Amino acid sequence: MSKLARLGDWMEERTRWRTAARGWIDHPVVGGAPWAAAMAASVATCFAVLALTGLTLMTAYGASPQAAWASVHYVQFVQERGWVVRGLHFWAAQSLIVLAALHVAHGAFVASYRKPREVAWWLTLGVLGLTVAGGITGGLLPWDERGWWARVVEGNIVGLAPGLGSWIQEMMQGGTELGALGLSRMYAVHVVVLPALFAVMLLARRAITLRHGWTENNGGSSTQGAQLARNGLVAVLVLVALFAMAGAAHGAPLEAPADPMGDYPARPEWFLMTLYELRKLFHGAGEFFGTTLAPMVAGLYLALLPWIDRPGRSRVAFVMAPVVLVFASAVGLGGMAWRKDARDEVFTKQRAKADFRAAAAARLAMGGVPPEGALSMVRADPELRGRDLFDQHCASCHVLGDLGDPKKATASKLDGWGTTQWIAAMIHDPDAPEFFGRGPFNGNMPSVDVRPKDKPATDPWRPMVASDAERNAVVAFLAAQGDEPGDPPRALDEATRALGEKIVSNRCANCHLYKGDGDVNGSDVAPELLHYGSIAWTKAQVANPATVETYREKALGADLKKHMPRFDADLSPSDVDVVARWTRAHSRGLSLP
Amino acid sequence: MLAAVGGTVGCGALAVTTVRFVTAPAHGGASPGRWMKTVRLDSLPEGEPKRVSLIADHRDAWTIEKQVQLGAAWLVRKGDQVTAWSVTCPHLGCAVGLRAGAPGFNCPCHDSSFDVDGRRLDGPSPRDLDTLGTKIEDGFVLVDFQRFRLGTPDKAPVG
Repeated sequence: MSKLARLGDWMEERTRWRTAARGWIDHPVVGGAPWAAAMAASVATCFAVLALTGLTLMTAYGASPQAAWASVHYVQFVQERGWVVRGLHFWAAQSLIVLAALHVAHGAFVASYRKPREVAWWLTLGVLGLTVAGGITGGLLPWDERGWWARVVEGNIVGLAPGLGSWIQEMMQGGTELGALGLSRMYAVHVVVLPALFAVMLLARRAITLRHGWTENNGGSSTQGAQLARNGLVAVLVLVALFAMAGAAHGAPLEAPADPMGDYPARPEWFLMTLYELRKLFHGAGEFFGTTLAPMVAGLYLALLPWIDRPGRSRVAFVMAPVVLVFASAVGLGGMAWRKDARDEVFTKQRAKADFRAAAAARLAMGGVPPEGALSMVRADPELRGRDLFDQHCASCHVLGDLGDPKKATASKLDGWGTTQWIAAMIHDPDAPEFFGRGPFNGNMPSVDVRPKDKPATDPWRPMVASDAERNAVVAFLAAQGDEPGDPPRALDEATRALGEKIVSNRCANCHLYKGDGDVNGSDVAPELLHYGSIAWTKAQVANPATVETYREKALGADLKKHMPRFDADLSPSDVDVVARWTRAHSRGLSLP
Repeated sequence: MLAAVGGTVGCGALAVTTVRFVTAPAHGGASPGRWMKTVRLDSLPEGEPKRVSLIADHRDAWTIEKQVQLGAAWLVRKGDQVTAWSVTCPHLGCAVGLRAGAPGFNCPCHDSSFDVDGRRLDGPSPRDLDTLGTKIEDGFVLVDFQRFRLGTPDKAPVG
């Protein structure tokens, strides 16, 4: 006899564990052990995974608007196995909603609500409700764009309810706005209240089904051991599926930190898309009732099934058809909403912007998030801030990369601005539509090598650059004006530089300034060329084009329609700095240091 | 008898304390000074909507952030007059942006649209965009920042 068996015997003699276990395993299950009953095991497995991974996540989560996103990012991207734990938790939650819904639909079909199982049936419905509540409260915890905006809109829908609506909204949000207290409340509900209720309901339901069986007419009888084996197999299958989903998605999605001032196109989680679409059918006062009444009627119908399904009534008409209708319309409406969004060009564009911000924020946070929080980090980042500022203040006239509308632009295209290619093309044809052609300076600047159209052929005219060598020298010299330390080195020999400078001083400075000198005709509209395209020049131009550093006084003249405005009053000095550096770097295809 | 009374009183005290704790309104939500300085009047293009930030201190329960973006408004200048609309959609509170392909405003969440004068054109919004008070001081546009009850046909201030 092995030592282990001897130990077993020793324990048996004192605790009767073997007898107890055998008794449990051989105990008959009322109504047999159908595979269908093992469906409850899939729900229980998801719940167990959620409990374990949830507790694990709690050891790394910070429940405050400043810490939440940063800590979830840390779990997802930095912590050892963090993405697996978060992925399991997320996918178990999604799966739980699907499984609980299937469980309800199946229960309705096999009439597992009939006497004496009514209470077990209500508990099953309650479990489905709790899975959705878990998804809603959990969705807020990362404090990212999706979760935050979805909860804000839902809070406002609750606020529409007559009577206590706005009070309930305030209780949920912890104030008139969704802030720190709202997050703490949702967190407390998510990690304590809901799991406790869930566990109690699952256990109570099990106690009842043990007594009465799962349904009345499944024939045969079996043992608890057989049921345990089937449940175990289901549990393993669920686990494999959860690992597969978490692996395929590499964890779970995380959007950019919630920005209450952004223009994020809010959408609810997939399991609420049905209500989102349903809401579109109701306007005005009917909106609250439309969106809440339909699910309430569906819920009430399911809860009352024990009385709706009476002997003598057709089960097809009173149970099967309505249940199919409820579930099919839920899936159908959700699918419709999803399809409309996928085909909506504006939404697709906004979605792409949100994805861009999410990726950028995730990249930024790899270097650590300052204690003020992830939103401050994103707002202070020169790359994102610069892009936002350009989009908001510059892109209505200028085009740069994917920002600005080439059809509406009235100022120079900035892709390549200050580079040799841009300058070469510009001084050859300044009135091309991508340069001054559609702006206030149209016709002001002559080409260096094309005879002006309005000049009579008999008038003497000579190009400003006599040869390709001269042109290249001017171009290279001007492009080098914008160089900054840290830029890629430029091959510019002294002879070329000197030639370029000579032509610029002699010819260009007839109208332009160079080192503060020039503009012999006093035209007052052509800018300073010293340091043209540098950070200092760009900053000066953004702050106020009407100084001697760039375009001088007439640049803001009333007769110069659609001239570039000064931004030194609208933007803080640091914002001017950020947008100037961003614009210069992106014009030249450089990255910000 | 004593135990019963004592137990009832004790449980009652606990219940009152915890319920009061949870249902008390959030503290610290003191509304900031409402007039907020935005941009210079002469930086606004004639007749073209421009989105401006409304900057003030933001108090949220135990935190205070100094001079952060608290809200935003759409400004449209007509001569020396400026109209301001809250960017918050009167429907359910998303931020309205410019309409694609036509002048006016649009909400990205439920597709309410408004014309250039903020009047409701289409979609579920129960009222026009909410106008905010404006005044010009030292060449700057000041906006009277307020929040309004959402989802109702009439515009009622909250907070």
